[in-house]
Amino acid sequence: MKNNKLIRCPICEAVNQDSGKAIICRRCEEHIYPEKTVSYNRAIAFLVTAMILYLPANLYPILITKQLGVVHESTILGGIMLLWQSGSYPVAIIILVASVFVPILKFIFIIYLLISTKYNIKSSNMDKHKLFYITEAIGSWSMIDVFVVTILSVLIHFTAVKIIPGAGATAFALMVFFTMLSAHAFDTRLLKK
Amino acid sequence: MKKDELDALVICKKCHTLHQKVEIHKDTKALCSYCNTVIYRYTTHLSRNTLALSFTTLILLMVTFLFDIVTININGVYKSLDMASLFIVMFTQGYYLVGIMLIFLIVIFPLTILVSLIFLLILMHHQKAGYTVKRLLILIAKLKHWSMIDIFFISILVSMVKLFAYAQIELGISFFSFIILLILDIIIIKKISFNELWILYENIYLKDENENEKQ
Repeated sequence: MKNNKLIRCPICEAVNQDSGKAIICRRCEEHIYPEKTVSYNRAIAFLVTAMILYLPANLYPILITKQLGVVHESTILGGIMLLWQSGSYPVAIIILVASVFVPILKFIFIIYLLISTKYNIKSSNMDKHKLFYITEAIGSWSMIDVFVVTILSVLIHFTAVKIIPGAGATAFALMVFFTMLSAHAFDTRLLKK
Repeated sequence: MKKDELDALVICKKCHTLHQKVEIHKDTKALCSYCNTVIYRYTTHLSRNTLALSFTTLILLMVTFLFDIVTININGVYKSLDMASLFIVMFTQGYYLVGIMLIFLIVIFPLTILVSLIFLLILMHHQKAGYTVKRLLILIAKLKHWSMIDIFFISILVSMVKLFAYAQIELGISFFSFIILLILDIIIIKKISFNELWILYENIYLKDENENEKQ
C-alpha cells in the first residue's frame, strides 16, 4: 500500500490525504499541518532559542543555599558531582540523564531530523519516525531538575538555612519549554521522500 | 480516495506504517506489524469506564492538591510540602516565570484534561452539544503532552533522597493519593485510546449528517 500520500492527524489520529500544502483534518477540522517551509523554519527557530538558553541554564547557579549568612551556589553539573561524592549514585544518574543527556540528545535528534529532510541520509523512514517519537516522549523529563529545586526551596525555608532557586532554573525551564515547542513544530511530512 | 476508504485505514503513531483496519474481538487490541505498538483497541463500555475512572482521578487530584505531600523534621522543626505552599514560596521569592510554568504544568493542565474528559463523556452520554464535545476532544489532545504530574512525583522522590541525610521524612496523605492518582492517570492516558473516543463521537453526532447527505 502506498504510504506517501497519507498522513496521520496528530490530534484525532484520523488518516488524511496529503496535498503537500497546509492541511485541515477531515475529522477534527483543525489546522494540523502548516506549509512545510513554515514548520521547518519554526522548528529551527525554537531549537536555536533552546540552544541559546542551554548556556545560561548550565552556567548560572540552579540552586542557591544560604546557611547562616554563607551563600553557596551550585550549577547543574556541580549538584550532580556533589550527589555523586555523597554516595547517592542512583539519584545522581537520574539527574545526569534527565537534565544533561536528555536536552543534548534532543538537540542532536532534532538537528539530525532537520538535516535529513534536506539531504539524503541513508536511513529508513520508519527509523526516523521512531526517532521523532522518542524525541517527543523524552522531552518533558528534563523538567525533573527544576521541580526538585522548587520542592527543596519550599521544604528548606528556615531562618538559618534557605534554599533559593537560581537564575539557572528559570533558564532551564524555558529551555525545556522551547525544545518541546521545537519538537511539536516539526512536520513529520518532511520525513517522507 | 473516499471518506470510507480513509476510515478503514490506520497509521501507527510510532513508526507511521500504514495499516488496513481489521475487525477485532471485544477487549482486544491491534498491534503494529512493524514495531508492535498498540494502534487501536476495541473496549466494551468505553465511555462508562472512562467516566468512572476520571471521576476517581478527579477526587484523588483534589486530595493531592489540598493535603500535605511530605513533612520533614529537622531537629524538631517541621516543614511540610503541599501544592499551595509551593506556589506561595515561588511567588513571594519573585520567581514568577517558573511559578507560572509550574501552576500550568502541574495543576491547570491535568485538571483541565480531567474536567473536560468528564464533561465531554457526560455530554456524549446524553448525545447533546456535538460542537462542544469536539472542541473538548481537541483540547485534551493538545494538552496531553503538557501535563507533568508524573514527572513532578519523580521529582518529589528525588528531593526526598536528597534530604534523607539531613532530615526525618514523614509521608503525608497526599503522597499515597498521588501514587494511586498516577496509576489511574497512566490508565486514562495510555490505555484509553482517544481514537476510540473520536469514533464514538462520529457514531453519535455525525451519523445524522451523513444520512441527511445521502437523502
